[in-house]
Amino acid sequence: MKRDREFNSGFDILLFLLTLAILAFGIVAIYSATYGNTGGTEYYMKQLIFAIAGVIMVIGISYIPPRYIAVTSYYMYGFGILLLIAVLLFGKTINGNKSWFYIGGFGIQPSEFAKLATLLAVSHFLNHGDEKKDVNNIKVLIKTALFIAVPAVLIKLQHDTGTMIVFLSMMIPILWASGLNTFFLFGIITPVLSVILGFLNPIFFYVGLLIVIIALIFFKRNLFASIAVFAINLAAGMSVQFLFSRLAQYQQDRINAVFNPELDPLRSGYNVIQSKVAIGSGGLYGKGYLQGSQTQLKFIPEQWTDFIFCMIGEEFGYIGAMILITLYVMLILKVFFNGLNSKNSYMSLVTIGIGGLLLFHLSINIGMTIGVMPVIGIPLPMVSYGVSSLLSFLAMIGFALNTYRHRNTYV
Amino acid sequence: MYFIYSSPEPNQHKRYIKLSELAKKYTVVIIVLAVFISLGIRLYDLQIKSQSEYGMKSEKNSIRKIIESPPRGLMYDRNGVLLVDNEPSYVLTIIPKKFDRNNLPEIATLIEESPEDIAAMLDEQTGTNRFNPLRIKRDISFKVVSFIEENRDRLIGVDYQVESMRKYRSSIRGSHIFGYTREISQTQLSRDTGGYYQQGDVVGQTALEKFYEVKLRGNKGVKLASVDVNGKILGPYNDEKNDIKAINGADLHLTIDVELQGYAERLLGGRRGAIVAVDPRNGEVLCLVSKPDFDLSLFTGAGKNKELSQVFSDPNNPLFNRVIQTRYPPGSTWKMMMGAAGVGSGKITTTSTIACGGSYTFGNRTFGDHGAYGNISLARALEVSANVFFYKLGVMVGIDDYNKFGKEFGFGLKTGIDLPNETKGLLPSREYFDKVYGEGEWGQGLLVSLGIGQGELGVSPIQLVCYTAAIAMDGMYHQPHLVRKIKNPTNNFEETPDYYKRQINLPKTLFETLRRGMYLVVNGGGTAKNIRSSQYVLAGKTGTAQTTKANNHSWFVGFAPYNDPQIAVCVLGENQGWGNEFAAPLAAAIMIRYLSNNSSDVYEEMKNGEVVPD
Repeated sequence: MKRDREFNSGFDILLFLLTLAILAFGIVAIYSATYGNTGGTEYYMKQLIFAIAGVIMVIGISYIPPRYIAVTSYYMYGFGILLLIAVLLFGKTINGNKSWFYIGGFGIQPSEFAKLATLLAVSHFLNHGDEKKDVNNIKVLIKTALFIAVPAVLIKLQHDTGTMIVFLSMMIPILWASGLNTFFLFGIITPVLSVILGFLNPIFFYVGLLIVIIALIFFKRNLFASIAVFAINLAAGMSVQFLFSRLAQYQQDRINAVFNPELDPLRSGYNVIQSKVAIGSGGLYGKGYLQGSQTQLKFIPEQWTDFIFCMIGEEFGYIGAMILITLYVMLILKVFFNGLNSKNSYMSLVTIGIGGLLLFHLSINIGMTIGVMPVIGIPLPMVSYGVSSLLSFLAMIGFALNTYRHRNTYV
Repeated sequence: MYFIYSSPEPNQHKRYIKLSELAKKYTVVIIVLAVFISLGIRLYDLQIKSQSEYGMKSEKNSIRKIIESPPRGLMYDRNGVLLVDNEPSYVLTIIPKKFDRNNLPEIATLIEESPEDIAAMLDEQTGTNRFNPLRIKRDISFKVVSFIEENRDRLIGVDYQVESMRKYRSSIRGSHIFGYTREISQTQLSRDTGGYYQQGDVVGQTALEKFYEVKLRGNKGVKLASVDVNGKILGPYNDEKNDIKAINGADLHLTIDVELQGYAERLLGGRRGAIVAVDPRNGEVLCLVSKPDFDLSLFTGAGKNKELSQVFSDPNNPLFNRVIQTRYPPGSTWKMMMGAAGVGSGKITTTSTIACGGSYTFGNRTFGDHGAYGNISLARALEVSANVFFYKLGVMVGIDDYNKFGKEFGFGLKTGIDLPNETKGLLPSREYFDKVYGEGEWGQGLLVSLGIGQGELGVSPIQLVCYTAAIAMDGMYHQPHLVRKIKNPTNNFEETPDYYKRQINLPKTLFETLRRGMYLVVNGGGTAKNIRSSQYVLAGKTGTAQTTKANNHSWFVGFAPYNDPQIAVCVLGENQGWGNEFAAPLAAAIMIRYLSNNSSDVYEEMKNGEVVPD
């Protein structure tokens, strides 16, 4: 009896069931998106087999004592970097990204492994030693940034911009969770926004700048720091137009198409236009399973990977899409809460990072299929086809389960 | 938040932690809910508010890429006569998703196919493919087309497409020159790493159609069309501004002389063998015949399955190109080669003599001859085809020089003719014999037979004709070829392929002696006096490849005119007896026909000579 109680109290059954539900959604969606492909059955069968293997892995990971994870994290990080270098040298190029290894018919993306390893290692770094490192110390902050920058640059060299952005975005929740003060966070996030605003419309940019000034007044930091943040924002927003005009026409076209897909209906914009039509035509109830004309006529190339959400929107409609999003939101909140409720400061950091990653993937991926986010090729967690990303996300769930199990264990 | 670590008082510390954790939780909940709500609102806009707009778009206004296959390039003979053309043909198509099965029997009767077969083809299609027109039958008649047109409303999902089909314009067969085209096979499709081909594409499978596939096929275009939910085309997309135009295939201008080719095909008739003639001055192939051959038009259109399977199962293998793929011992046509090896290796000169009794004994074996000629030199030995001369020469030259000079004349190597699947033949070497018999396990005796072109030696007619041409041209060896020019009429892009030529490094007097010998074969007291012509001075050499089971293979190589060679020819007759009996008259007729500008037919008068062994 006692053992059972312990099991129940150690096993995050809610998170586990949410994961299974999302996985099932994914396999059903892949089946439809690849229906009628030559060798189409392979995709969903592969995904199913690896989902089962992954779920077993998830349970396994949840039992590992956190200190072991912390201790091995640097080695995993080192191994991840080696893999990234190896794939640059010997990898196979798919769709312009040189980020794949081919082993026995399986494409393996080392960047997925590196993502996880970096998260574990950075968390360990910030949590290392007798006293925890203060991220508000500029040296610690720079070291943290370097930890993330090395794999990010290697991934950029593979032309995999999407995954690189994911890496950079990973910094924010971790730094936030490890106590970076809001002013620093503000200083990191606002220049990025200024660049985007400055590109879209100068008026947006000036409005944004005004908000920055007001916020800076409220922060009541010293004058020098406030002016520095303001100056960075100003420079970022002002220079973007200038730099943009220096780019070659085709590069400008590509960037423009990110924000306005209709400008390039046959290349980068094509997917977004078709994807919006697919989702929009789904209506409230959807067209029915295997009945979506956009999906079944394969208007979107390789829809079973990054654009899998169109199939859900088209064939399951608004109700189906919102059920999936609700499942995700519950899952992500549960992950965050596991992190925030844990007394184990290492696992807490790791898990908050995972929550951030999942949220980022969810919003960017669905956002790009409905035309509100730029098209950067990142998958919908546990739903998009792809063995590497599936296993990587499932491992993350494993760590979140682990955090729950060890929530009362101090390091 | 960050000041939790620096809090001075323990109690306060605890309070701060609680507060900040709560704050973090609120932050997380707010951010996650913000994402949830904004996605929810945006999806609501898209799916509920704009549903009718996007629903219409998905019904009516989707872009679809339509691949346009350009017509294949044509083929012309050396004088611009059209040989291989295209003609439109109609293919009956059915869209499985839309097709009403009640119409199946009617369609089956219409195209004379069994309803079960058609049903099986339709059932094979799954998923997306069910929305695409499936090709049911090629080359349907115009009557069927008009029936479909008239009953369009009733026969939903039934349609036809126009595609281009090969049409052979001339009276020649050219089976082994042009080759045939066929729908791409699954294996070929899987080997297409460039991703150019799709199911249903027609590709060159043999001969020139295969060798020049990339030139002939052109480049597919992409047309963008607005299509409805059933894949039906509503009109061009964006005024065709984004379309990629198809580029027509380029035409091949061949070196073949259509008159000569037709003549050679008729001469060989139903007998198994090969005729190939080249212009020795540049390597242009004038005619190329391999018999038995097959009717290329069997491969176009429909309803010829029975005849086709006959072609594939014929034991005489009509698909086999004897000009470039057989390897038989060359027999006495090899003797010039031996003369060249003897002089080249310094074992003899062009005037030194060898004693030719009636036979030659090497070790304990005696090799016979058809006469005793006394002490004779190379030219005379060629004239009478004296075996003993070349037995001895074979042993003198030895295997290493045998191989070395054989290669000089292109034996044991591909000539590089622009046709696929050429054989290298077999030119023995020291390594070869060591491998076959074991090192030191074979004797010089092998060289006795090799000296007269028998034994473990295999050559193809194309190798022999190039060798003959090189002798005619003082040792200038030209790469044989069938295409002189590739020209694309749509963009006027013209390309003249580069072919190699090389000088065989042997003295000019040697080539003069070899030609003299070949002259005497026909015009002296030689083995082919039966083809002596009053019109043109011919030169050549007969040969007979011994076979153990059946009648010997008959060879002849020759060139003409003797003083100004314009054509070199090689004739092979499988199991047709002595060289002068079968091959020589054919070769002579070809040469004279060509030199007289395709007007003379001297074959009948030449073929009645006496049978002379060579």
